Amino acid sequence: MIAGPLLTLSFSALVLAALAGRRWPRTWLALTVAGSGVALAAALLVLFGTTDWEWRGTVAFGGELPHLRLDGLSAIFLALVGVLGGAGAVYAHEYWSDASHPTSAPRGRAWWSVLVLSMMLVLTIANGLHFLLAWESFAIAAFFLITLDSGARAVRSAGWLYLAASHAGTLALFAFFALLAERTGSWDLGPMRAQAGLQPLFWLAMLGFGVKAGLFPLHVWLPSAHANAPTHVSAIMSGAAIKMGVYGLVRFSGWLPVPVSAAWVLVIVGSLSALLGIAFAFAQGDLKRLLAYCSVENVGIILVGVGGALLAVADGDSPWGRLVLAGALFHVWNHGLFKGLLFFGAGSVLHATGTREMSRLGGLWRRLPWTAASFAIGCLAVAGLPPLNGFVSEWLVYLGLFDAVTSHGATAWAAIFAALMLGSAGALALASFVKAGSMVFLGAPRGRAAAQAHEAGRAMRGAMLLLAALCVGLGLAPTLVWRALARGVAAWHPAWTVAPVPGALQAIGGTQLALAMLLPAVGWFAWRKMHGRTARRALTWDCGFAAPTARMQYSSASFAGIASGWFRWILRPRLTLRRPRGLMPTRAFRLERIPETMLDLVIVPIGGLIMQTASGARRLQHGSLQAYILYVVAGLVALGAMVLGAGIR
Amino acid sequence: MMIVLSFVARLAWWLLLAPLLPGIINKVKAWVAGRRGPPVLQLYYDLARLWRKQVVMSTLASPAFIVGPAVAWAAVLGATLLVPLGPAAGATLSFRGDVVLMLYLLALARFATTWAAMETGSAFEGMGAAREVTYAVLAEAAMIAAMLTLAVQTGSVSLATMLAPSVGTSAVLLAAGLFTVLLVENCRVPFDDPATHLELTMIHEVMVLDHSGPPFAAILHGASMKLLLFAVLVTQSVLPMGTYSRTMASIVLLVGVLIVTVGVGIVESFMARFAFRRVPLLLTTSVLLCVFALLVAWQGAA
Repeated sequence: MIAGPLLTLSFSALVLAALAGRRWPRTWLALTVAGSGVALAAALLVLFGTTDWEWRGTVAFGGELPHLRLDGLSAIFLALVGVLGGAGAVYAHEYWSDASHPTSAPRGRAWWSVLVLSMMLVLTIANGLHFLLAWESFAIAAFFLITLDSGARAVRSAGWLYLAASHAGTLALFAFFALLAERTGSWDLGPMRAQAGLQPLFWLAMLGFGVKAGLFPLHVWLPSAHANAPTHVSAIMSGAAIKMGVYGLVRFSGWLPVPVSAAWVLVIVGSLSALLGIAFAFAQGDLKRLLAYCSVENVGIILVGVGGALLAVADGDSPWGRLVLAGALFHVWNHGLFKGLLFFGAGSVLHATGTREMSRLGGLWRRLPWTAASFAIGCLAVAGLPPLNGFVSEWLVYLGLFDAVTSHGATAWAAIFAALMLGSAGALALASFVKAGSMVFLGAPRGRAAAQAHEAGRAMRGAMLLLAALCVGLGLAPTLVWRALARGVAAWHPAWTVAPVPGALQAIGGTQLALAMLLPAVGWFAWRKMHGRTARRALTWDCGFAAPTARMQYSSASFAGIASGWFRWILRPRLTLRRPRGLMPTRAFRLERIPETMLDLVIVPIGGLIMQTASGARRLQHGSLQAYILYVVAGLVALGAMVLGAGIR
Repeated sequence: MMIVLSFVARLAWWLLLAPLLPGIINKVKAWVAGRRGPPVLQLYYDLARLWRKQVVMSTLASPAFIVGPAVAWAAVLGATLLVPLGPAAGATLSFRGDVVLMLYLLALARFATTWAAMETGSAFEGMGAAREVTYAVLAEAAMIAAMLTLAVQTGSVSLATMLAPSVGTSAVLLAAGLFTVLLVENCRVPFDDPATHLELTMIHEVMVLDHSGPPFAAILHGASMKLLLFAVLVTQSVLPMGTYSRTMASIVLLVGVLIVTVGVGIVESFMARFAFRRVPLLLTTSVLLCVFALLVAWQGAA
């Protein structure tokens, strides 16, 4: 099996890249791209081959023998890490170059390679102890990447929040792996569905991996970390790093026996994540924060698929489980690709204008045509519209859910709920990305920064175009992708091994192809024809208003106004209003800001409570000797009383 | 040969019949109000006139301003090809899960229209686009519930079989829910008033303020096709189409579409447009109607 040597090659290239990163940027770029590409090749070999790759070392490391394995499931995630690791490195080479960030760029390069390498290790390691080591190094590399620009206060606090949340999750994972090792008698990981006693452990895994995946109530760290990190880091964090949490959930829901209640919780929490995540996204005024919240939505969709598959297994291996699981796994790829693309686009905008505030941008399509075009493709893909990739994965999930409903079992209730939530979330996603795309790229520039923007350079454009091409390509070849997905599904649940391409998926592939040819053709025809008719250019009509200013345009908050009204109960926008007063009013404004509701209203109060109890307990500890002697005497008296009491009885 | 003929016949149904519907609605409104009203074929005349006209583009607009309406039109046409015209005729293309594709093609049309509207940087068009995408959230939930109802009823997830039998006891609920969705998706009273000239109070009309010439014709024609699509959907989801013979089914379908269209006209004659803050309430009602229809269908199928 050739996957082994390929992985060795890839890992060593990445280690060398981490070492070379500080001094030689070009060597680093070549090594990182090569390492990522080779890992991608290894993953594709496993996905399109028939055998898994497994390797057991003979030299113990930390008291445990190394055990690596690359099966269909981990290969799906590995392929994504490979693509984003390489594309992100190319993007970073220009975006966070030595010239623009002389102090942090060398660090950034080294940590990038460490991050990519540790994610790949997380995906291949099949030993609990080593998994935790790789997991920890992945978390720390991500922390240093998020805080690359450590001069800014917002960045530092986002970094600390990420680190704290990440470690809270890791704590749960420590408990999970330790208990697992204690119950099974070994740190070795593998399928253990037969051991029903392990069931409760899945809750711990759900908590630990859920934090990393950014499931709704556990997502508090995600928006600020993804918004404040350098954009190439946001792209890999959103595209690949949170997928490590998803990987953990998928992996251990496949290996462990899972309580049915946990499957229900996954479906319900996933649905709510999807709806509330996108509701928060729609209300945001910060482009990168919008993208970050949208990741919460997409993880929700993925977990609806995973939870649905678990329900299907519990429901006597119903065949619709394959569809939702395949849809979820495909969505892992798709979300990684289009979210990477959108973040790259946002980075290019940030690079060009220096702001992420959508209400200061506008009209950028003229100055950044490449960015605008690829961002528009990303918008179409993330809204799940045909003929792009996002549609196929969402369609698979929907088809599975519809099948579940028609099967008329108890699980149908979960499917009905999920389908309704996903439907509304899908429409809100469309709304969010019409808003994001149009606020940034359409209309008139709302400020000087937007008017004087410049297009990104070759490397950044290349990375965007690559991801855009993948978004289009994966959408056009769903039957080819299905082969890879079927390997992942079979690795998750061996009973679902034989999975021929569903006939409906072939039909979808056909319609996707037809649409992909027809729609651009119609559009191109219209443009040629109208252009030939010498389309006259005139001022926007605007009901006859002859002197429009850019500030009269609909703003980001007003676009989302109606929907944020619906979600006011959870968004809790902060409003600063100054009404026009007097006869000749001069100053009036209305400022609406969406706070981090879950963080401010749930996590911070809980943290405050813990701090209060802790500082209450600290009063015992004040350094006066007399009091300490009193404690000792009181302790001795109490001990004596206990001993005496026991003796009398 | 037969396939080609039937395809052409279908295209004719969707492309040529669609502009008749707004004409009928306007005629009904005129009758009720005691006016003579515009000719039933008015939209055909308008389309022909617009097609010959020159295009005026905003200085701010990108090519997507022209491409958007064209793509939206093609997407709606694609969605119509998935809708069966009676059980015997079936749809041009039918497979498991085509219902989701239909919903998402309509969503693509929404994306393209709103994107093109935002091109101009006009606050009015921003308003219209914001309303269009926001109300669609509830309409989408209602549509999913309605489609689930049909799926539960028939045990199928393909439009051709889902629409064949009647929905039985849940038919009234489903008809009411789907009819409300028809009104909001096609921007009719009480959600939107296609006749008003107050741009502030409109959704669809205000989004296309800046469009002119052939792209505007594409928008109007696409909108009428969408109306026909929903009328066909409502008719077939309520009536037991599968029990009729081929000719009978075609006649029933035609009459059903006519009744739905006249119904829209009557609603517009006797109702005023809702205040915008009350629109979500009505939409929620339509979601609830469809969900109740789903529950009733569930009971019936159990």
